[in-house]
Amino acid sequence: MKPNCHFSKNQFYIKYLSILLLLLFNYYVKAQTLTVTGTAWTVPITTITEAGTNYTGTYQSAANQVLLAASVPLLLGNAKVSVHYQPNPTWNSSLILSAKRTGNGTTACGLCTITGGTTYITLTQTDIELFRISAIVALGAYNNIPIQLQLSGVSVTIPATTYQSNIVFTISSI
Amino acid sequence: MRDLNIIICIFSLLLSGTLLSQTTGSSSVSVTLPVVTLMDVEPTGNITLNFVSPTEAGLAIVNPAVNTTKWVNYSSAIAPAGLTRRITAAVNTIIPGVSIRVQAAAASGSGGGTLGTSSGLVTLTTTAATIISGIGGAFTGNGTNNGHQLTISLVTNTYANLSARTSTPVIITFTITE
Repeated sequence: MKPNCHFSKNQFYIKYLSILLLLLFNYYVKAQTLTVTGTAWTVPITTITEAGTNYTGTYQSAANQVLLAASVPLLLGNAKVSVHYQPNPTWNSSLILSAKRTGNGTTACGLCTITGGTTYITLTQTDIELFRISAIVALGAYNNIPIQLQLSGVSVTIPATTYQSNIVFTISSI
Repeated sequence: MRDLNIIICIFSLLLSGTLLSQTTGSSSVSVTLPVVTLMDVEPTGNITLNFVSPTEAGLAIVNPAVNTTKWVNYSSAIAPAGLTRRITAAVNTIIPGVSIRVQAAAASGSGGGTLGTSSGLVTLTTTAATIISGIGGAFTGNGTNNGHQLTISLVTNTYANLSARTSTPVIITFTITE
């Protein structure tokens, strides 16, 4: 006797394949994404040659030291990109890191906007908003958003050693 | 079979989240601050200190006026938990009957950090003597009116050892060290 089955084998696979596709599509539509590229910044400290003087104090990276690729959801999606620094493993609190956005990057979305972050923002160890992306009736995807970094507070009064930090960028909904 | 498909669904869901919802990323910054040990005396140039003959029989020769034109400038960056620095002074020769003395004032001017402390009035010999100590990470500022003003003086000590002499150059060597 043939078993009582509501779905054929093909229907069974189509059903689950559809669910999978929906899940993937759902994530793609709803999730903001952020990719960070560019090169690590090794700050070129100027040698002191005159007794009594201090470092010039402020150093700037290349205007495109960090490149961000960010996308925000479809349909009136808004997202903010925040930034903070994370000692890795050692940083000195007298060394002040700042970041700013030096361009808009590239996008295929004509109605999307990217705003804020064009002047230096002092970084802390907690997230601070750097800029916002708004997507209207299309996926708001920006590539190669250039970020410039600044280091200030460099002084001989800071113990002489190597300091490292990670600059952490995070995208989230508003 | 049904359980397997559910597991696949959950796994795919988790995987899709990992692949498509990356919301954070980082870039690194590195800065190396070197050890710095720089010191000089400003302004450059020699100073002249002349004893003056007495004008009245029975009086001692008159000591020269003290010189306060020289300033010690330094830049110092030390390693974490590193030793502090000090500045020493020594003369290349001793003039019999005469003491050459140096006193560093407290630091003033545009400097900052852990500046040194004066040792007070120090009579110089050919052996280096500390005139400023406890210098940590610090800078004094550059040029005159920055750093430690020096008061350099000549006085007689054992009068019997004095002898008339023409110009006698004496070199005072200042050194910054740990």
